[in-house]
Amino acid sequence: MTALLAAFDWDYIWAHRDELAAGLRRTLEVAALGIAGAFVIGLVLGAARAHRVPVVSQLAAAYVEIIRNTPILVQIFFLFYGLPRVSHLFQFKPFTVATLAVMVWGGAFNTENFRAGFEAVPQRYREAGLALGFSPIATFFNVTLPIGGRIALPSSINTYISVLKNTALMTAIGFPELTNVALDFVATDFRTYEMFFVLAVTYLTIVWGLSALIRALETRLAIPESR
Amino acid sequence: MPDLPDWVRPVAEYMFKVGVKHTLEIAAISVAASAVIGVVLGTLLTVRWLPLRTLIRGYIEIWRGLPIIVTIFLMFFALPTLADETHFEALRLTALNAAIVGLSLWGSAQVAEATRGAVQSIPREQHEAAAALGFGWVGRHVHVVLPQASRRLLPPLVSLLVGIIQNSTLAQVLGVPEVLETGKREYERLQQPPPFGAGNPHAFEIYGAVLVFFFVISFPLTRLAAYLERKLV
Repeated sequence: MTALLAAFDWDYIWAHRDELAAGLRRTLEVAALGIAGAFVIGLVLGAARAHRVPVVSQLAAAYVEIIRNTPILVQIFFLFYGLPRVSHLFQFKPFTVATLAVMVWGGAFNTENFRAGFEAVPQRYREAGLALGFSPIATFFNVTLPIGGRIALPSSINTYISVLKNTALMTAIGFPELTNVALDFVATDFRTYEMFFVLAVTYLTIVWGLSALIRALETRLAIPESR
Repeated sequence: MPDLPDWVRPVAEYMFKVGVKHTLEIAAISVAASAVIGVVLGTLLTVRWLPLRTLIRGYIEIWRGLPIIVTIFLMFFALPTLADETHFEALRLTALNAAIVGLSLWGSAQVAEATRGAVQSIPREQHEAAAALGFGWVGRHVHVVLPQASRRLLPPLVSLLVGIIQNSTLAQVLGVPEVLETGKREYERLQQPPPFGAGNPHAFEIYGAVLVFFFVISFPLTRLAAYLERKLV
């Protein structure tokens, strides 16, 4: 065990801090774009699902079921290797495939989060909004969204955490995000402990941080009187 | 039966005989291990002794917090390095076993959390009544609390099964010939120019078929989980 600890080379991590930071930056870029996209998809399709907008609602349901019932790694392979066979228009760079994959995946889960949130808003609140002369759209933005959005927030942040973790899968298509960069150092220099230490500390810091944020928001945003 | 192109048959046969077999093997072992370890850890998480709770809490948060693919790589690359230094050869996992261990660590963390909730949902009186009947801690949980908690545990266990089946594709990154990897091998074999392959690649059809395969398995199971959730909880 002492030999193990003595072999741990902090200087190796420090010497490669730039490459690792670049990997982390790409991880965060893909995650941020994926989360932003997942937010928009979830909001729009979740609202369409909750309000039973014809056609859109059914299409959204099919999209959600397809994404949730197939492995994301297969989705990534399908996007990266499969779709370009149909047309060269679908020949994307790894960065685009990575972003698109987590966005579409997160969007499906977020659609469910927002649908559940909007449906949890009591019908009488919406009726009250309409009775006050708000249009259906205005009722959505002034009544359903503020209340339903709060209900959906913790579960949607959970989806964002998963989006971030899923960026690690992009190592399978050779996109140089954090996991990919670290594994390259494992392969070239056999710096196994150092690199897995970096991976574990980085991912756990972000994931645990976001989880703590959920707990904080849950108490802060809890709707008074309703629970 | 419409006429299928010549290349389909051998591809389908290989993916089915080798790929599906490995996918099911990974999934079955990982689910069983996750369920057993998870229920034990989750039940122990309800004891009052803080050091034990902290230890299990750490286990859950680490294996749920890391991307599963990182855990699988950790089992495959870091354990052999440890084996080199400690001369403890059991740490040298095959790719298949590394994937199974990685998935089980994640799965058991999920089950442990669900079990804790299920056990704590059983009213105190049930514990007290069992204690009054002379059951010890183990008997109380095995014969009284866990059977009642199992109703609440069933939906998350079905969801876990879906999660494990889907994540079994992560074994592909270690080259384990499960469904995705066999599909990849066949697609690459067909990509070679004649006379070795058919000359035209079929990534779209093959990966499309893999998507369909997982959908056909997962969709009924997610429906079942939703049904059990309504029915039992």
